[in-house]
Amino acid sequence: MAKKGKREVPAMSTSSLPDIVFMLLFFFMAATTMREVDPLVKVQMPQANEITELDKKNLVNIWMGKPMNAAKGEDALKIQLNDKTQEVEDIRNFISATTATKGVSPKEIVVNLRVDKEATVGKLTAVKQELRKADALSISYAAMQAE
Amino acid sequence: MARAKKKAGEINSSSMADISFLLLIFFLVTTTMDVDTGMKRTLPPWIDPTEQQNDVDVNERNVLKVNVSRNGSIMVGTEEYRSNDLKRSAGHSRLSREVYHFLVDADKSNKKATEIEGATYDISEGLVSLKADNESKYKIYLQVQDELTHAFNLYRDDISRAVYGVGYNELDDIQAGNIRKAVPMKISEAEPNDQTKK
Repeated sequence: MAKKGKREVPAMSTSSLPDIVFMLLFFFMAATTMREVDPLVKVQMPQANEITELDKKNLVNIWMGKPMNAAKGEDALKIQLNDKTQEVEDIRNFISATTATKGVSPKEIVVNLRVDKEATVGKLTAVKQELRKADALSISYAAMQAE
Repeated sequence: MARAKKKAGEINSSSMADISFLLLIFFLVTTTMDVDTGMKRTLPPWIDPTEQQNDVDVNERNVLKVNVSRNGSIMVGTEEYRSNDLKRSAGHSRLSREVYHFLVDADKSNKKATEIEGATYDISEGLVSLKADNESKYKIYLQVQDELTHAFNLYRDDISRAVYGVGYNELDDIQAGNIRKAVPMKISEAEPNDQTKK
């Protein structure tokens, strides 16, 4: 009698647990693949202390570094906008196209400059001049928190 | 007969949760890596070079010139700094201390009375003019920017303590905004045509 009573208490159903977790999993997979861009240039971010977290909403990324498939000894810096490498002169068109799709003015966006730490400042200055011409004045130098 | 049916019907799915948890944790870990952090700056608006330029009149004494050369040495005013002077010990580097002292300089004439929360405070008019050689390394350039920001943040902390009695980091958004407005981060990033002049 006692044995039977014990058996009839149902174990808590955990059959929906995988479904819940899978749902979470799919959410994270979807949310993260959306902003992933295949890197065409190698960017090792520099370290800094006085950095802030950037709001993702109006963030536009510009990568700058050596191309991934560069031959040894080749050290030409390339600029990556979206998913292709482009020239400095293309930045203005890129900014106007991006702001048009986002429906904001260039002043509202923050341009995140992901520049390789071994890059030279000259090219960065050229990029900044183009951003000034495009009226995208809010920039940020991407960096990692120094230990 | 009924017993046999029961045995065949159920597949143990308790490990499913473990597997999916493992996947979930994997995705959580790999995606936190691209949290965007950076140092924010505002560029000056574009001025057409063909147009008449009337440069903003800034008193020379209020300007600290920082020059990054291609071999990695840094000139601050007339003094030479090495990459070691950018390394922090006890929270500050030699460069950030120097810039901070430049900002809190006791000289009253380079300070402007600024109103914060109904009271007036003498705020430094100090401006840091940062120039870098076209061939200088971005890593060093950003380190210098980092130390300059640190110096300005130290100065903001001082002002914040004078106004609100607490550090800049402990202020709420509105108060921090007030301090930021009163003590702007005056770091001028020189344009390329400035660099060709030797």
